Amino acid sequence: MNGIKKKEEKLFSGIIRFNAKILGLVLGLLMGLVVFIATNWLVIMGGHTTHDGITVIGPHLSLLRQFFIGYKVTFTGSFIGFAYGFALGTLSGSLIAWIYNKIVDFKS
Amino acid sequence: MQEHARKLDNKKTVIIGGGPAGLAAAYELSKTGVESIVLEKDQMVGGISKTVNYKNYYFDLGGHRFFTKIEAVENIWKEVLDDNFLHKKRLSRIYYNKKFFNYPIRPLNTLRGLGLWNAFLILISYSYAHLFPAGQEETLEQWVSNRFGKRLYKTFFKTYTEKVWGISCSEIRAEWAAQRIKGLSLVKAVKNALIKPKNSNKKEVIKTLIDSFDYPKLGPGMMWQSMAEIIQGNGSQVCLESEVEAILWNRNNKSIDSVEINVNGQRKLFHGTDFISSMPIRELIQKFKPTVPEGVLKASNHLNYRDFLTVTLIVNKQDVFPDNWIYIHEPDVKLARVQNYKNWSPYMVPDQNKTCLGLEYFCFEGDELWSMPDEELIELGKREMAALGLVQKHDVEDGTVVRMLKAYPVYDSGYRGSLNTVRKFLDGIDNLQLIGRNGMHRYNNMDHSMLTAIYAAENINGANHNLWEINEEPEYHEERAGKSAGELVPDEIIIKSFNRMDKFGFAAAIGTVSGLFIFLATIFLVIKGGEVVGPNLQLLNQYFIGYSVTIKGAFIGMGYSFLWGFLFGWLFAYLRNLFLGFFIYRVKRKVEMLTFRDFLDHF
Repeated sequence: MNGIKKKEEKLFSGIIRFNAKILGLVLGLLMGLVVFIATNWLVIMGGHTTHDGITVIGPHLSLLRQFFIGYKVTFTGSFIGFAYGFALGTLSGSLIAWIYNKIVDFKS
Repeated sequence: MQEHARKLDNKKTVIIGGGPAGLAAAYELSKTGVESIVLEKDQMVGGISKTVNYKNYYFDLGGHRFFTKIEAVENIWKEVLDDNFLHKKRLSRIYYNKKFFNYPIRPLNTLRGLGLWNAFLILISYSYAHLFPAGQEETLEQWVSNRFGKRLYKTFFKTYTEKVWGISCSEIRAEWAAQRIKGLSLVKAVKNALIKPKNSNKKEVIKTLIDSFDYPKLGPGMMWQSMAEIIQGNGSQVCLESEVEAILWNRNNKSIDSVEINVNGQRKLFHGTDFISSMPIRELIQKFKPTVPEGVLKASNHLNYRDFLTVTLIVNKQDVFPDNWIYIHEPDVKLARVQNYKNWSPYMVPDQNKTCLGLEYFCFEGDELWSMPDEELIELGKREMAALGLVQKHDVEDGTVVRMLKAYPVYDSGYRGSLNTVRKFLDGIDNLQLIGRNGMHRYNNMDHSMLTAIYAAENINGANHNLWEINEEPEYHEERAGKSAGELVPDEIIIKSFNRMDKFGFAAAIGTVSGLFIFLATIFLVIKGGEVVGPNLQLLNQYFIGYSVTIKGAFIGMGYSFLWGFLFGWLFAYLRNLFLGFFIYRVKRKVEMLTFRDFLDHF
């Protein structure tokens, strides 16, 4: 069997393994950026003023602070949100990769 | 250093065959000061790619385009002929059913030529072949039909292929077709599909090679003649009309002592330290003295060859057709291909008001065509050209016939086993190397034949190349210069990235992480407490019936979340595998088609 055939066989028969660090980093960056962009989007849009004359920005997104302590829908808050999102994403991504790899190793 | 030079001084190589391979070996050896002697049985050098001169009309047997990706071979061509090359645009067509079709095939031109109904039937047959391919691919017929459909196979492949090989396509091994596209690495194709080459695109490179080529002003013979002169100028010998009669070998130390030739009835022996053979393996084995073991001899007799003859017609017309050559797929004529030498190089015709055509017939030595007298063959040629409507009989003013023995090694059902037996025996002979097309019974093109010779010469000078790996592993259409961006990515990375995803593994991982998410979020809010605990997260119970922001709810939420995460993960992995598989399938088919574009050119 020549090298090309061997490579093709590897391509078709192999099972992908995840790199936990990379998947964690990717998911972390993605989640961090989602929170960061969503927050700044609402900050730029400006929000609305209530009957009491109070300006409310992103009332729903600000619910995140129940979990992300210190987070607010402000420019500064977007950085805090990014950090939380990044941490959570990294943790989730790494965990997904780790569990997946363990299962694949176990099965093979 | 001095020791090495002294060793080289004592070397003398006997090269059997003065074709491109034999000459390339002598040429390379002469560069390093190793003396060699080339023994050619014909009156001229060039072997199956020689150029014949008939009344100053030059014609090439088979039409040999000069293009290669092998730098070493290209360097030799440049060194030998320098600026005596013409760069030619290629035009070749298929003549079928009284119509011309562009070759390489162009879809629109083909559809126009075949007509709507036929095109529709071809499309149906093509789709059928892709939906329900034949399970096994043992023959050329199955191999081509699986890729192009039965109808397209019958229209464009069957008749011509059977004319060339003289046997039914159902008897030709699929391996032969696969070897023509063997250079295709799926991994590389995937890589190229993902990462575009930096400066050019692969399609363009292949297209260029198929659509244009270099050609010596006076045909390939000009190259071989010049090469022979250089070899002689460097102190080696090129002996014409020197057919090897016997190869004298020593059974005990498993080496060749000398070869015997017969010149004008006189027996002459040539001794050497090394021997290189490009003569057909079957003949080589038969010439061994003492005779080889019975099994080896028997196996060598099973190696078959296809022979070939060219009927050259000189036509009293300035222009006959614009093509370099035409494939004749008409089943009613025996003619397989017509070369128009003037369109290869105007220097090949002494009078530009005339045209020189080469009518190519494939045959077996001794069969009806082969044995036909020259006059009858010329008449046959005229008759068939007139029947095809390409040339009128009265326009032909002269003609000649050239027969070429063993032009093609045949890949029939028994060839591989026989070749392995013979190879095993020959590999045991220390000072013998096999090179070239017939020398290795392998469908090598001119450049690969020359590369086997270059490597053989390097082996004599101390290298350790395995000649049988040439034209086996490297891509035929590899990129010429520099590395593309894709090539910088190791194959292993592409393979790992394109492996299947384990559906269960991914589903379980996503399910577990999702479940944990909801569990921890719920527990977090429960611990935080407050007047109303987690009113927003509580909204999840619209989907997760029974869920609440409580300890018990955390477990219920985890269960639901695991389930949905699992389903999502499984579906994601399934779709990812499906689309990736489809992508790889598309890439494979596309590159197969691309390489198959010039399939007929390799006959």
